[in-house]
Formats: sequence, structure tokens, C-alpha cells
Amino acid sequence: MMPPHEFKLTHFQAMVIFALVISIAFGFLSRRGAYKRAKYIFWSFILFLLIGVGIGWAMYPFSH
Amino acid sequence: MPDEVPIAETINAIPVAPAVSPYPEPTQDRHRRDALALTIGAAAWFLPGLGHAFLKMWGRALVCFSTVLLLVILGAGMRGNIFSRNGEDAFAKLGYVADLGAGSFYFVAKALEPAGPDVSHANGDYGTRLLATAGVLNMLAALHAYEVARARKA
Repeated sequence: MMPPHEFKLTHFQAMVIFALVISIAFGFLSRRGAYKRAKYIFWSFILFLLIGVGIGWAMYPFSH
Repeated sequence: MPDEVPIAETINAIPVAPAVSPYPEPTQDRHRRDALALTIGAAAWFLPGLGHAFLKMWGRALVCFSTVLLLVILGAGMRGNIFSRNGEDAFAKLGYVADLGAGSFYFVAKALEPAGPDVSHANGDYGTRLLATAGVLNMLAALHAYEVARARKA
């Protein structure tokens, strides 16, 4: 049985959380104003996911 | 050839900003500001968000604190490896530097992981990455606070 503070995440869940948290932090650190921050966070998050999934697909043939 | 060439003919009358400010900052003030910036940078490293809080950047302070804390809680909860000072190879030493970047949260991560790391599963490996990310992100935030305090960044 897992302790109450132990998490089990899939690779995809960990990647989504990582992308979201880092995008928010980068957006707040590098941009000023709500609109610019939201735009930066959105695009950064989407690109993190797309590039992550893309690299996963690119590596797929080598794992078989 | 005349000694004095009209300015309009030599530089096409485009105004050029002086390379050095005509009002240089007194050395004593500059040293004081550098010392303050170093203190703010160290505070930002020790407690994520504290440096930005000193600079009254409340949104950034809150985001730095909460994102680093979330990554530490997740990383420790996934039983990621928290590297110690006695690293055996270069990667372990590099991991220690990255983990230590989280400042006081390095010890929070240790406290949240009483059973120790478990990197025999992929989950623990992801946790190791999240802990390192927390440290590196905090170092970046501390550097940002330092640069703002030195008036190099907005």
C-alpha cells in the first residue's frame, strides 16, 4: 500500500504536469501583463507537449 | 581640406545616444546596490520567491514559491533520488548541484521522503527529474531576482 503522500504517475501525466508548471513559471518570469503571460504560457505548454510527443514518436522505431 | 567638417555631412544628422550616461552613478551607491542585489539573490535561492517578494513582485514571488514547492512535493512523492554531497560520479555531483538549487526546499524534499528513493521503477526516475527541475528553476528565479535588483531587467 502506498503512503498517503506517495504519487504514482504515468509518463504522460508527469510530462503534462512538468510542462504546465514550467510554462507558468517561465511565463511569469519572462513576461509582464496578464495577456502576454497567458499567451506565452499557452504556447509554451503546447510546444512542450508537441515536442515531447514528437520525440517519443521519433524514438519509437529504436525501441523495437 | 577644412579643419572643421559640418556634423550634418559626416553622420547624416542622425542623433546617436552617448555610450556612457552623462550622469554616472556614484561608486558608493553602485557598491551598495550590488550588495543588496547579492542579498536578494541569496534570499531568492534560500527560499523560493523571497527575492521577488523583497522586490515587491508579488505575482512572481507566489509563482516561484508554489511551482518549486509543487515540483518538490511531486518529486519526493514519486520517490525520486535526492542526491547527496558524496556523489560517486560526475552525474551524481551534477544532480546534487541541481537539487541544492532548491535552497531550503532541498531539506523539505528529504523530510518528505522518509523511506528514501526508489528508482527501480520509472516513477522514481520521473521524480528525480522533477526534483532536479525544481532546483534549476529556483536558480533561474534567483538569477532573475538578482538581475532585477541590479536594474538590468524589468
